[in-house]
Amino acid sequence: METVNQLIRIAEKRGVSRRKFLAGVGATAGAAAAVNLAACAGPLPTQSSGSGTTTTTTYTDADILNFALNLEYLEAQFYLYAATGNGLATSDTTPGSSSGYSTVGSVTVGSAAVVPGLSTAQQQILNEIAYEEQAHVRFLRSALGAAAVPMPNIDLSFFGPLAVAANITTSATGSGAFNPFSSFDYFLVGSFIFEDVGVTAYSGAAPLISPAGVAAGYLAAAAGILAVEAYHAGYVRTSLTGRAITAGSAASYPYLNAANLVEDLRATLTVGNSADPSSPNSLETYLTLPGNLTTPSSIVAANPSSAVGFARTVNQVLHIVYGSPTVGVAKGGFFPAGMNSIFSVTTA
Amino acid sequence: MANQETQLLDEIVTTSRRKMLSFGLSSLAGMVALEAAPSAQAANAYTDADILNFALNLEYLEANFYYLAAFGTTIDKPNNASMSAGAPAITLSGKVGTAGTVSGGSLVPFTTISVASYAIETAVEEGKHVQVLLSALGSSAVAQPALNLGTAFQTLATAAKIPGGATFSPYASDQTFLVGAYIFEDVGVTAYHGAAPLLTSSANLSTAAGIMAVEAYHAGLIRTTINYIDPTGTGIGSYTNLISTLRATLSQAALLGATPSAYDTAPDDFGLATFQVTLGSGTNATATRLTDANATNVVAFARSTTQVLNIVTGGGAVTANVVVSPATGVFFPSGLNAGPNGFR
Repeated sequence: METVNQLIRIAEKRGVSRRKFLAGVGATAGAAAAVNLAACAGPLPTQSSGSGTTTTTTYTDADILNFALNLEYLEAQFYLYAATGNGLATSDTTPGSSSGYSTVGSVTVGSAAVVPGLSTAQQQILNEIAYEEQAHVRFLRSALGAAAVPMPNIDLSFFGPLAVAANITTSATGSGAFNPFSSFDYFLVGSFIFEDVGVTAYSGAAPLISPAGVAAGYLAAAAGILAVEAYHAGYVRTSLTGRAITAGSAASYPYLNAANLVEDLRATLTVGNSADPSSPNSLETYLTLPGNLTTPSSIVAANPSSAVGFARTVNQVLHIVYGSPTVGVAKGGFFPAGMNSIFSVTTA
Repeated sequence: MANQETQLLDEIVTTSRRKMLSFGLSSLAGMVALEAAPSAQAANAYTDADILNFALNLEYLEANFYYLAAFGTTIDKPNNASMSAGAPAITLSGKVGTAGTVSGGSLVPFTTISVASYAIETAVEEGKHVQVLLSALGSSAVAQPALNLGTAFQTLATAAKIPGGATFSPYASDQTFLVGAYIFEDVGVTAYHGAAPLLTSSANLSTAAGIMAVEAYHAGLIRTTINYIDPTGTGIGSYTNLISTLRATLSQAALLGATPSAYDTAPDDFGLATFQVTLGSGTNATATRLTDANATNVVAFARSTTQVLNIVTGGGAVTANVVVSPATGVFFPSGLNAGPNGFR
């Protein structure tokens, strides 16, 4: 509940004082963020679990892939439940013998279920994304072998508190409380929470891979998964935009604005660059509703001056999936017991 | 931001290379086993500038296509439409190689807001990619080569066996524009993906990864829109299968008989036709293909320069299992412009 309360406080403050959040932290975007990443290559300061003291841990390529695996577990469970009403097979969640973890986590299902009312085409799209995220889980586990961490505890009921924090209320959508498993449009907003983040996470992680890892193909693999996440993000953003265009106005398609509220929240949680999405320094690009044949859309999330996609640090991604801007947090949000990762504690 | 990025990239272009790999083909062979030893292959002598210039040739092509379709002009000749959309007016500052002219192309008579707005957005973004690469490369930047954005589409559409291919024009309607865009977008993803592991500094890699992400957003946008217009794949959806089959054939020819890497299977391209999947503990289901990736591990494909060249020149890069350099044909009637190392 502490995380929820934090989020609600964030929401209360948003309209007034977004920039007070971590005021003074230099805003970075695009390639500037890459400099920060480059500076981080090598030993990373991290929290040793439990004691609260800061130690220095050298991470490996396996640690980077395992961080990605945690995110893929989350995405796969979300899409599989939305498409089929069930999650990953147990055999896709077990610990590798040298992973340092022995327990498979559980999924807090909440209201997760097959999204009702889908057309055949929509169902086939959900099937595709579920299959592809499942394939990423299997691919990373295969690449990691004995080093693969098991699935951590995952909370699919966190969408509710997250929506509250993002100010996605009944009045915003006009059709009840936010639940990504209740309709196709709500599903799009739910998937929107993840997809752009996945792109930025892989962009941020790719330069951390060692030269040996590059030679072994890990960088190419990470880049290839990054591309797939961007295909997915392109799908979700195109669908939200297209359905808003069909509806004819922002008022008659409130889900577009709901997605932008998600961007607001993600920006707040992107500690180190919490610039408002309308700011040129933000790592977010608001969706827009083109009103005529000469207005550009905003499908791509990228730096507005260079059209280069964004990158987030591991730490920024953690803040988002934990739903907390606080330093030193080891769990919360979608990961109620934390990630199974040496990067499981927010460090900045 | 452009200045910051320019500085970063300038720094990178002069940085020593990290590790030479064969260009994209076999580096993933060890992917299945974590401990697999790297197998650095005989190196192609591509510098970072070469890699960025290869990308610049492709961005010239894409940007001019979208500018012509969305604004009715080329990237270096701003008009009211391009300026009001915020599309950059490009100064063709690249001098390496031979500057060429752009032939073909015209404003698409869009009738739907969605397709028109997507075309405009994509034009603006591809223009910015040209700008970023030009300023990063500075005096090393290649000139804009001769580009055929007219009859090249008919040549490719015919080769792909698209009905009425001999008269196909991507500038005729919303739907034909989407088909034209489809020809480019997935290829851009594979080209940046193939190049990424060759870049030497993390800042440069970040920029390449960021541009690749944008290309994949575009590809997802195009595929989603085609699927929305033709969900059962009886119209333009079926054209995507024909185009992907052609691209995969040209790409495979450029492997010169070598085996694709662990996830770069042959074929390395899929249209929007549905396929069967097994979900979770065994649910069988039918899935779309809004993502162009390996069907098993769903990692996007990577292509070598030779594979990309063979696609964008319509088979001009390979003859009888031998690499032809410089490769010429279809979109690049005089070939790509390259530095002293050339492209092959």
